[in-house]
Order: sequence, then C-alpha cells, then structure tokens
Amino acid sequence: MKNTYIPFQMKVKKIYTESPDRTLKTFDLSYINEEDKFDFLPGQFCEFSILGKGESPFGIASSPTEEDILKFTVNRTGSVTNEIHYLQEGDIVGIRGPLGNWYPVEKFKGQDVVIIGGGFAFTTLRSLLVYMLENRKDYGKITVIYGARNPDLFIYKDEIKEWEKRDDLTLHLTIDNPVKGWNKLTGFVPTVTKEVSFDPTSWCVVCGPPIMIKYTLPVLTEIGFPDEKIYTSLERRMKCGIGKCGRCNIGSKYICIDGPVFSYEEIKKIPEAL
Amino acid sequence: MIKIKKSEFSEFIKNLQKNYSVFAPVTDGKATAFKKIKSADDINNKILNTKRSPKEIFFPQSEVLFQYTERGMEVPKREEKPFAIWGMRNCDTKSLLMLDNVFGEAHQMPKKDMYKDPYWKEKYDNCLVFNLACNEPLSTCFCNWFGGGPFDKTGSDIFVVETDDSYIFEAVSDKGKKFLKEFKTAEEISDKEIKKIEKLKETAESYLAEKQDVSSLFSKTKEIWDEPIWDEIAAKCVNCGACAFVCPTCHCFDVSDEGKGNKGKRIRLWDSCMFAIFTKEASGHNPRSQSTQRVRQRVMHKYNYFMDNYDEHLCTGCGRCVVVCPVNLDIREVIKKILDYKK
Repeated sequence: MKNTYIPFQMKVKKIYTESPDRTLKTFDLSYINEEDKFDFLPGQFCEFSILGKGESPFGIASSPTEEDILKFTVNRTGSVTNEIHYLQEGDIVGIRGPLGNWYPVEKFKGQDVVIIGGGFAFTTLRSLLVYMLENRKDYGKITVIYGARNPDLFIYKDEIKEWEKRDDLTLHLTIDNPVKGWNKLTGFVPTVTKEVSFDPTSWCVVCGPPIMIKYTLPVLTEIGFPDEKIYTSLERRMKCGIGKCGRCNIGSKYICIDGPVFSYEEIKKIPEAL
Repeated sequence: MIKIKKSEFSEFIKNLQKNYSVFAPVTDGKATAFKKIKSADDINNKILNTKRSPKEIFFPQSEVLFQYTERGMEVPKREEKPFAIWGMRNCDTKSLLMLDNVFGEAHQMPKKDMYKDPYWKEKYDNCLVFNLACNEPLSTCFCNWFGGGPFDKTGSDIFVVETDDSYIFEAVSDKGKKFLKEFKTAEEISDKEIKKIEKLKETAESYLAEKQDVSSLFSKTKEIWDEPIWDEIAAKCVNCGACAFVCPTCHCFDVSDEGKGNKGKRIRLWDSCMFAIFTKEASGHNPRSQSTQRVRQRVMHKYNYFMDNYDEHLCTGCGRCVVVCPVNLDIREVIKKILDYKK
C-alpha cells in the first residue's frame, strides 16, 4: 500500500534571496532519484519537510515545463520556514506531493486569462504564467495584475523584467503606497483591478493574502466576470495533505484534496471559505 | 447461532489469542479502556461504555509515522497477528465504519491508493469485531437517535449476547461466519434461548430514553449557520477538547517531529478543532479564532458536513461527551435546541 506520509528526498540546487530584508527566499530543488519525478499542473502544492522540525505546505512555484526542478518561495515566519531559510545549496530536504487540485488550464485553452496576485502568494501564479507562456499559442490574451506592499517585496524580480519586455503579455505592477522612484501603479490590488480595463469574458485567477482575495472577488463580479470563471486558491494549516487530519476542513470540503483551487461559484457555497 | 458457557470463556479467549492479538474492555485505575489483554482475567464485561473509545486500537493517541536516521526513513514494524476486539458495543462498532470512510480512501478522488491511510488500514482491515449487546444501556446513551440500538448488529463480525450463564454468538459478516464455522466445541442454541434474547432486547430498549427524530438535523444545521444560536450554544464551552478526545468518531490529528540532529521520528497525535491553535497559521492569521466558530465547526462537522460526504451523521450517540464535559454541555440538548430553533 502506498504510504503518502513518507516524504522523498530532494537536493537544494539553488537559493535566491528575493527581498533585501531576507524574509523571502526561493528554493530550486532537484530530484535525487529519477523515480520520484512526478507530473503536476499549476496550482498544486507539496508538503516541504525539514526532518526534526516538521513540514509545511507550499504551492509549487515552478511550471510543469521546468522538468528537472521544483521551485518553492518561502516567507520566513514560523519554526519550519525558519529552518527552510537556514538551508544551504546541496542540503537534502523532504517533499510530499503533488497534492491537491490545479487551475483549470484545460478550460483556459483558446481563451483570454487574467491573473491577479498579491505579495509572496505569486508562487502558483508564476507556475501558471510560465506554463501558459511556454505554451503561448494555446491561450488568448494574458493580463497580469501583481501587487506588493513595496517594490522590494515583489518576488521573481528578474523574471518580471523579462515579462515586461514581452509584447504578448500585459503586466500591471502595483504597490500599496507611493515610493520615490516608482513609476508604475500605486494602490491596493482590488482598487487597481477596478481601474484596469479588461474583457469580462476572460477567465480569471486570483491568489494572494486572504484579505486581498476577499476584497478582489466582489470587484470581479462588479466588472462582470461570472462566478464560474473566477478561480482562487485557498490556504489553511494543512498537515496530512490527503484529507485525513481535518485541519483544512471548511464546510464539507477539505482544502487539501477538494482544493486548494476553487471557483468563486464553489466558494460561495462553502461556509468560512473567505 | 451457537453458545459458549461462561465457564468456558477463559478457554475461548486463550484459543482466540493463538491467531489474534486480543483487545477488550479493562479497568485501568479509575479509567476504563480497550487494551490488549494477557488473559480473560483482564477483561471486565460489566463495562458498558469504556471511558476512552476503542478508536485508539486503530488510531492511537500518538503514533509514530516513521523514524529517520542519516540512512533514511523507516516505518515501524507492525504486529503480525491481526486484531480481535472482544466486547465492543454497537455505538463503537459503527464509529469504526465511519472512520474507515475517512481513513480508507478519499472517495471523490482519482488515484485512490494515495489517499489510503496505511496505518489505519493495516490494523482495521483484518480485525475481527465481537460486538457485545448492551443488556442495560446507560442514561447517557442515545444510540437510538442515530439508527443504532443496544442489540443492533451493524458493523459487527460476530454479535454476542450475554445471558445468565452463557455467551450466544451470531455470525454477521463473512469474516464472522468463517470464524464461527471453525468453532467446534460450541453448542447450538435452543428456541428457548432465542426467546430469552428477544426478552433481553426488549428490556434493553426500554432502558433507553425516548428517541429524538433527527431527520431534519442536516437541513436545520445548514439553515442556522449564520444565526446567533451558536453564541448561545458555545457560551459555556471552555474549549477543553475532552469531548473530541473521548469521541469514537472524532479523528483530527496533528503531525509533529521529535528529534535532534540526524535522528528522530515523525509522530501523529490526536488534536481537536476545539483548540484555537488548531487552525492558527504561522503568520498569525487564524480563520477560526473565536470559540463560537470552533463549537460550530464541531457540531457542523458531526451533523452536517460529514452527512454531505458520507450520508450519515458523524455521531453514534455513545454519550461519552455527555459524561466527560466539565461544564455539562450536553450534546443532546444542543441537538434539541437546533431542531427547535425558529429563525
């Protein structure tokens, strides 16, 4: 019988410090055993283990098209994330996954897609964006709204520069409050979403801190997006990742198996979802 | 149906132990629980509801998921003999079926195998359950509200009725039939004894308090989700979690590491949605920070959410939570209050 509680080992291949205050780091992990390699789709997550310290759930930030690595961006905030931040290149970590469901990329085919993200939750959105850019001809217009508290707290800054250069992608970057030298948008994500014009026949994916999601979804309704075309990713303090431990139970759903990706239509039926 | 004399009980248990690790209700200091027994002398058949439920046989309060060293990870070796549980009551037998829904697989998911809980499955799948009829139910028993009863056989492999001088066995499942077939020393029972069982059943049922119709509990709980009734229900709850720990159907757990350097283990431990820390995230964000939200979660999970997934309530009416609650928050009163609530 398969034992999904046992992590497999991966090696830390490369570490990127994302923010000058060092609270955000990205880890590229490489497989040690070929047979551990798994297929996944953007939006799925893994449990990241530091043996002796515990494990925490993180959305997979790499795209399925980046075959040899798994990428995770980790905000240093608790005991496990602290230990993850202490890792050095070459260290061994434990991974369980892929867990949960994914953004409905099949439904997006041939359609316009709007991606709205906030802060360091841009991880699975990066996975989605890179995946769609790698398969660019399969999708229509791609629009991205990405907000952070201040310019330092955007993750994947080098890639953002590359994305800005592309003419097959519209990128709106925004920060909460004005900062000297910032010549892009200023304002919270829900407000900026209201200001940017896009076609409400697009599909929409929202991921960010709970407060951002809560206030962005109604804005999308206001613009005219139907509930079943708005998707978001929820998070709880998931432990087992396979619908047993009960920590991520909301209504009759378990975020770890029925989610983390839900449509706004589904979310409206789940008590306590937002 | 066959019977064994009470004088032969020790011998029966001894024989059972040849092929099974036998668990049974025992008195352990002031508490009572299901434990692995050495001999029939350890068993206390007078205990109706053990203080701790037998879920711990399959899902112990703490369980090592694996040990690790610099050489890798290893799952602890399990006992080779399958488990036989003697003296389980209907409320507990039924709870195991419910837990098997949760730990067995995620029915709605593809790739079912990855959602099986091997720790539960290894112990539960081969076990043999002797379900003992309750001749004298307690004042806290309300199994009849949830389709159970002192003589209900649901979930048992072998159903056992205790009479003055004997134990009468009836095979219920295929596993139970196979077991009884190989049983050579027992006697067949007479019509007189069948009548006696009928009488015992009637008497037992008369002990139970009046049955509450809970058929509208599912829809009612859904209706009142946003109502102030929850503040009223939760007002005296101190969030101690005792109800969840003694509950035969509560199954939430925490996963925690114990270790230093390259050596240690990963353990799972019972947890409860009654605790504020249960949902508290590292960022400080807590989606269920209020006591009222947590009490609602427990009640809703039992009488609404589980029903939505598995078509039954996650409660067997064993009454343990009624007994242990330090502030006398009686779940039967909560259910009645919900059913009577007018918006």
